[in-house]
Amino acid sequence: MSAESTNRRIALIGNPNTGKTSLFNILTGMRQRVGNYSGVTVEKKTGLWQMANGQEVELIDLPGTYSLSASSLDERVAVDVITGHGMGGRAPDLVVVVVDVENLRRNLFLASQASELGVPMVIALNCWDVAERKGLQIDSKLLAQRFGVPVVPTIAKRKSGTMELAKAVEKALETRPTMVRPLWPEPVQNAIRKLQQELVTERGEALREGELQRLLFDRRSAVRERLKTPASEHVPIIEAVREQLYKDGFQPDAAESTLRFRFLNPLLNDVLERQAAMKRRSKSEGIDQLLLHKFWGLLVFMGMMYVVFQSVYTWAGPVMGLIESAVGWAQGIASEALVGTPMLQSLIADGIIGGVGAFLVFLPQILVLFFFISLLEASGYMARAAFLMDKLFQWCGLNGKSFVPLLTSFACAIPGIMATRTINDNKARLITILVAPLMSCSARLPVYLLLIGAFIEPRYGSNVAGATLFAMHFVGALVAAPFAWVLNKTVNKGRKPTPFVMELPHYRVPQVKLILFRMYESGKEFVVRAGTVIFAMTIIIWALLYFPRPPELQDQLATEYIAQISQDSTSGIAESIELDANQSSELERQVAARYLEQSYMGRFGKFVQPIFEPAGYDWKITVGVLASFPAREIIISTLGITYALGGEVDEASDDLRNTLNHAKWETGPRAGEPVFKIPVALSIMVFFALCMQCGATLAVIAKELNWRWAAGSFIALTSLAWLAAVLVYQIGTLFG
Amino acid sequence: MRLNEIKKGGLFRVKNLNCCNDCVSRLMSMGLLPDQEIRLVHEAPLGDPIAVEFNGCHTSIRLEDAAHVEVEPIQ
Repeated sequence: MSAESTNRRIALIGNPNTGKTSLFNILTGMRQRVGNYSGVTVEKKTGLWQMANGQEVELIDLPGTYSLSASSLDERVAVDVITGHGMGGRAPDLVVVVVDVENLRRNLFLASQASELGVPMVIALNCWDVAERKGLQIDSKLLAQRFGVPVVPTIAKRKSGTMELAKAVEKALETRPTMVRPLWPEPVQNAIRKLQQELVTERGEALREGELQRLLFDRRSAVRERLKTPASEHVPIIEAVREQLYKDGFQPDAAESTLRFRFLNPLLNDVLERQAAMKRRSKSEGIDQLLLHKFWGLLVFMGMMYVVFQSVYTWAGPVMGLIESAVGWAQGIASEALVGTPMLQSLIADGIIGGVGAFLVFLPQILVLFFFISLLEASGYMARAAFLMDKLFQWCGLNGKSFVPLLTSFACAIPGIMATRTINDNKARLITILVAPLMSCSARLPVYLLLIGAFIEPRYGSNVAGATLFAMHFVGALVAAPFAWVLNKTVNKGRKPTPFVMELPHYRVPQVKLILFRMYESGKEFVVRAGTVIFAMTIIIWALLYFPRPPELQDQLATEYIAQISQDSTSGIAESIELDANQSSELERQVAARYLEQSYMGRFGKFVQPIFEPAGYDWKITVGVLASFPAREIIISTLGITYALGGEVDEASDDLRNTLNHAKWETGPRAGEPVFKIPVALSIMVFFALCMQCGATLAVIAKELNWRWAAGSFIALTSLAWLAAVLVYQIGTLFG
Repeated sequence: MRLNEIKKGGLFRVKNLNCCNDCVSRLMSMGLLPDQEIRLVHEAPLGDPIAVEFNGCHTSIRLEDAAHVEVEPIQ
């Protein structure tokens, strides 16, 4: 058995914005693991916490919740873990409830709910300021006395109280203290007894009293979903009991909050009054007068978003450039060292080093974005941003928290999708992830620039070119809005909505250390979980573009080329021809073009070209489109190779632009006609605007949701892109 | 009157809550119960959602959900 499974297990629960996660980070240090609870997209964080006696316990950071009523996934996970239905079926040995001293009443509601589940408890009375420490000591003693569990004051921000907390937990693991529970009125007791009788005694369900309460009080308790008794039996039982409670004068949906707060209020007497005196509310309220102002608030918001966007879009650029040139340098060294073995040379330089570069290049953007996200979240501004923007997103099932991820996706969908973790409504999060790839990311820019530069600008001038470029950036967003609406009506149908009730927490000064830690965490997770997939995809695409590579082909082409040159030249003596530098690189480019043409990818492109025919693509464009599925910008180097200009061309290359302008259909009914007309150029751009041509995005979607969603969104967006491309081409040809 | 109709400046008292609405039941577990005092602190630029204050905490709520809370003004 591993050490972890024999360790004591402790769960950390608490309301959002109590400093619970800060406390978790401090107690576990860097030794934590982040994953998902099986089957759901709720983040699971576990770590090791060293007690005063040197023993280590497993600490679980449960998602922040206001209640255990299991109306959201977060709450459901919390109930499941505490009752031992999550995480390998072992209930925690103890629960540490993190209670924010400024919101005692509301925070203790959750603690009281948890106490019904019968787990031993320690309360960490967290506060944010040393100034409050003095009053806190009195309160904690009083609270411990009244609630019957140890109460330890902590200041997570300053690591203060963590030793005391460890000592209290160590002791509580032996004494197993539980919090006082309310004495429920007769009708509630009867209802619970009835459920106990029918579900536990008669049908053998393993339910604690707290779980029976959840079944009684919560309209759609998640506990129902794990009953062994079929719904046809348990629903009537539960509904009958709820009906009876209603007849006895307690509306079941309201009974718990009413009765539990009635129980808590006297216990908090005179403690609460002191709390009121400490409130720093006024300060935050003053700041909000500006930041939530209808005009100035929006202005500040737009300014902040501009900085976030610019930093991801532009300021990460130099570092990305540095990574790219480092990769190029490594590729150069590898190529030189392996010049004798061309297959190995290409595998290592283009496949392996290229593959590592393919995911490393995203790291700067991810780190920069998560710097801002953790800054916005830790300071309390993120909730305000969501408040300001919510109305814009409501109608299609998103909420205000979708704004930052979607905005970021205009720079790059990878950090954008990772940023959806800040959305705690799973329905909204799902849709945000699925539409994020439609935002026009920076990788599409070279494609737009090439095609606009080659076809629009020479004919219509720079004004139209600029307008086209601008319009292309909004094609995706315009499609995304109805797409989100449709998704919300289809995939989200029947899923439980998460209530959009959002606390606007106090403003706080963020801690540098925790921000750095969050950046490190997200970067590491991306490299470990998405990086490996991106790497594998790069190798596969490399192989498809490289093989088969019969050496005869090269010799044959060389002979033909030499023969052609000697014909052209006046000397006419074929054997004595020595190729000069220009000629040999020309030959090299032609060989590369032929190899690409007969590679698996080239053959596949020719094979599927008929599918792209209605969009106006010949086989060369089709191969370019296919080869750029791992990453959009690859189309440019692929076009460069197929047109025998070499793979080093870029979007500003005049050679490439000229070649495209002169490209003609090789076969078929249109043989001899130019391939690239305006409708084709537009159709390609629209295809690139909508298509999911990014292996890294797929890998990140698979990581955040699962592979089925990744595959589904790949198919959906690719079909959408194809459809739009065909439409654009056909309509364009009609009018063109 | 309902919570979605209240204006800035006044102080209100909760009369009744439709606890069948998920948002309302969330608000109730945050302590919004009958007789609780409540006031409007902010409106979003497009008028929705609103931010209300009760029990010292500021909470954002959409108008469609706020319509499920009945309030009366306190003079």
